[in-house]
Amino acid sequence: METEILQAVVSGLLLGLIYSLVAVGLTLIWGVMDIVNFAHGDFLMLGMYTSYVLYTSLGIDPLLSIPVAGGFLFVVGVVTYRMIIRRIMHAPMLVQIFTTFGMMIFLRYVIFFFFKPDYRSIGNTVLSGNVKFLGVYVGIPETVAALGAFLTTGVIYWIINHTKIGGAITATSENRVAAQLMGIDPDRIFSLSWGIGGAAAGIAGALLSNFFYIFPEVGGVFGLTAFVVVCFGGFGNIHGAFIAGLIVGLIESLGGYIAPPEYKHLFVYSLFIFLLWLRPRGLLGVT
Amino acid sequence: MKRSFLVVFFMVLFAAAAAKAETLKIGAIYPLTGPAATTGKELADAVKLAQEIINNRHDFNLPLAKDEGLPNLKGAKIEVIVADHQGKPDVGLAEAERLITEENVVALIGCYYSSVTKTASLAAERHQKPFLNPESTAASLTERGFKWFFRTTPNDDTFSENFFQFLDELNKKMENKVKKVAIFHENTDFGKGVKDTETKYAKQYGFELAATISYSANSSSLDSEVQKIKNSGAEVVLPASYVSDSILFMKTIKKFNYAPSMILAMDAGFISGEFGKSLGADGNYILSREVWALDLAKKKPMVAEINKLYKERFGKDMNGNSARTFTGLLTIADAINRAGSTEPDAIRKTLVGYSIPGDQLIMPWAGIQFNEKQQNELGRGIVVQLVDGAYSTVWPFDLASREIVHPFVPWDKR
Amino acid sequence: MAVKDLFMVRKTDYAPVRMAVIIGLVFLVLFVPVIFKKPFPQDLVIKIFLFALLGNAWNILGGLTGQVSLGHAMFFGTGAYTSTLLFLKFGVSPWFGLLTGAMLAGGISLVLGYPSFKLKGHYFAMITIAFGEVFHILFRNIDAFGGASGLFLPITDNSFSAFYFGIHKAPYLYIVFFFYILSTVTIYLLDRSKIGFYLRSINAEEDAARSLGVSSPFYKSIAMFFSASFTAVGGSFYAQYVTFIDPPSVFHLMFSIQIVLIVILGGIGSIVGPLAGALVLIPLSEFTRIYLGGTGRGFDLILYGLLIIVFAVYQPLGLVGMFGRKRR
Repeated sequence: METEILQAVVSGLLLGLIYSLVAVGLTLIWGVMDIVNFAHGDFLMLGMYTSYVLYTSLGIDPLLSIPVAGGFLFVVGVVTYRMIIRRIMHAPMLVQIFTTFGMMIFLRYVIFFFFKPDYRSIGNTVLSGNVKFLGVYVGIPETVAALGAFLTTGVIYWIINHTKIGGAITATSENRVAAQLMGIDPDRIFSLSWGIGGAAAGIAGALLSNFFYIFPEVGGVFGLTAFVVVCFGGFGNIHGAFIAGLIVGLIESLGGYIAPPEYKHLFVYSLFIFLLWLRPRGLLGVT
Repeated sequence: MKRSFLVVFFMVLFAAAAAKAETLKIGAIYPLTGPAATTGKELADAVKLAQEIINNRHDFNLPLAKDEGLPNLKGAKIEVIVADHQGKPDVGLAEAERLITEENVVALIGCYYSSVTKTASLAAERHQKPFLNPESTAASLTERGFKWFFRTTPNDDTFSENFFQFLDELNKKMENKVKKVAIFHENTDFGKGVKDTETKYAKQYGFELAATISYSANSSSLDSEVQKIKNSGAEVVLPASYVSDSILFMKTIKKFNYAPSMILAMDAGFISGEFGKSLGADGNYILSREVWALDLAKKKPMVAEINKLYKERFGKDMNGNSARTFTGLLTIADAINRAGSTEPDAIRKTLVGYSIPGDQLIMPWAGIQFNEKQQNELGRGIVVQLVDGAYSTVWPFDLASREIVHPFVPWDKR
Repeated sequence: MAVKDLFMVRKTDYAPVRMAVIIGLVFLVLFVPVIFKKPFPQDLVIKIFLFALLGNAWNILGGLTGQVSLGHAMFFGTGAYTSTLLFLKFGVSPWFGLLTGAMLAGGISLVLGYPSFKLKGHYFAMITIAFGEVFHILFRNIDAFGGASGLFLPITDNSFSAFYFGIHKAPYLYIVFFFYILSTVTIYLLDRSKIGFYLRSINAEEDAARSLGVSSPFYKSIAMFFSASFTAVGGSFYAQYVTFIDPPSVFHLMFSIQIVLIVILGGIGSIVGPLAGALVLIPLSEFTRIYLGGTGRGFDLILYGLLIIVFAVYQPLGLVGMFGRKRR
């Protein structure tokens, strides 16, 4: 009995770390410029396809393609900002939702067009197998992915809180005008935030591609959860998103273990609703 | 005077239309976009191949293969109009109506998704056009008392019973006997329907139901689900899963080093091309219900020849879904030909009395013949096993092309 | 102030031009079944008005109060399931079911809405997504409500009292058009009434309005109630029209989003906006599916996504804004 609960906890934490990384990218963009990126899950999908293409065409292991996926999605993020987002910065929130929603459909079906709707997965990678530890099974790819997610989240946290660029990002998100007066170019900061946000999703995608199936609509599986995590943690709050990711992973796993699994998402959403009713700005949001 | 002029005018128009009707249209509605788009494409391809065989001369022992077009309709060619229902019941309904009223199709086939077949066939029922369903297996479809709805594939009720017949026969034959089963099903219409019939037959055949786990197909993790099955101590796991979740299920049981004595799946994800492709050797030794397998060619050489044509054109092998759809189009076209008319009533009457022996089909069925519910009563399922990328028939034992590997080989002994 | 006063309509800018437009539209719609005899174009017009109705309903909340709901499918589904279940289990007339569904959805909206109105911007949008998902999961798993298999209405004799007309589309068209007009009149009257005035002041400057003693949750609840009820009416209509409902077709998040898309495309907060949006978006998605969907490569959806982006970037005020009409 104890091992089973421990197993559920471990599974939940490993999953939660991935949720955290996906959510961190989202919350960064959200916090800095108050824009919702509905296509964030699809950035993750692009990261997965990057690994897939590198693996099938050049035989590069997904582990090695992590920087490529991260870099590629950094570029995608920046380009998205420069081509599209910059033009809707001052539009009403709804128009922004509408735009990124259009991006979501567009990205999904461009990939669909080129790769067909097939489910794919990468076999024979460096990482495979499982280990038994204290009676608990953990998959090696899952563990590495969770560790990678943890590290990446840590790096982003460090960049935001302990570097000059991070200071500029924080300053811009707190007060755009004041930041501008201090000589920070908000345009570059926004561009950079989209880059980092995209890179986080790309890295998460590459990590996931080690053990998760890949198909054009895979972004939807993680996208919605990422929204919940971000809201849960408080918009723009990186360590909030990190903790919320773990909590959501745990609820899903334990909920699915204790109750009928078909209701596991119900627990996540219900808890989310009650939390927002009690704390209208999320777990760590300032009220 | 004026009125008779009008009558003559329309008669002329009608006659002109009839004379021009060297092609007659059949509507096919499949999920060409959305989560099941891969399957939808395979089915649309199967329809195209069947159309080609009907319209041209081929030397197969299949209905209409040896002639060009439909001989009883002066060699009229058929043209299949393929429409996309996106997996949505209301779109299926609208497309069926559009095909009937705008494209003037004489009959409809489709729609793979049971939920969409439900609404699309409703349109056919209202407009009194024959609707032939080659591949939706929800038992409820033929329970509605529809006059214009015919189904060639066996349904989930038959398939579920097949499972327990198979287990019964296997227990008699093998030393490693199994008694405890667990049902693992995704929670849409398909999975729930399968759960109901499997539960019924488990009881009837005296098996113990150790657990019933329902889950959502778009889960990002199946850890807790698999853990529950593992704890239930079931010897046979009966999954009803779509593609993504079937792959995730296999990866998860491997991660947990969990190997039940048998995994006996209700087709869908487990027989999709992607299942074997993405899992490689990790997909080995699962058993699945099927309606068709390539190795039937050993008993029916025609199967291999048709598959060769399919592969030449579309780059992949046929599977149980495409074979059934292929057979479906041949059946409806054959019925139209036998009726010698495009009148809906004549086609319907022909379908009611329709009968074709098994040797003129690429299916492992005894034939096609509709019972009073207009369900084909000569169909049956087979059980296949995946070994090294190929599905081989292992049951019924007289059709088996290889010996069953039982029990399921544990992960550390591979 | 008396409740009656709240619903008093300002008579200052009574516009005969608008009346003329509405009357013209009525005549045009009445003749649709005469001009287009085939079911397909009639079906298209029915869908356009259904979505225009839903867009209007959404606009009562989203347009007037600025509260962005991405969970309106829950009200749509509530309407669809209420009338269908009442008919299937108790033989209750779908017309009565439609009213019950509207009241029920309104009630649900009050219970869920009231504690949620303190949420700002994205948070409100997110909590409505969560509501929608909760409804979706529950209905998928409760077998008494048909579970994942959904509910199927039996074929009955065509009659107005049974809300069933078989292959005849004209009655459905007139019914949905009637509800569309009803919702348009409602939003018009609400907008002109004191409630509308308060709602707009809350929308513009919530804190200021509050400090002047305008109870924002109270007025938002009124808007939410009407919004939810009309959406539920659309749901009951959909169930009677398609005669089959299951959780993915009435509770899906994408459905909620589609309603919002139509409003944004047409112009947020505008009375003709939803109809304009539906007039463009519904035929667009139908025709791209028919002419490009058959290729099986998803080309229709690439185009759809691209158009949304281009439109949002270059025409964020919606179609109504494009023709120079300013939002009031």
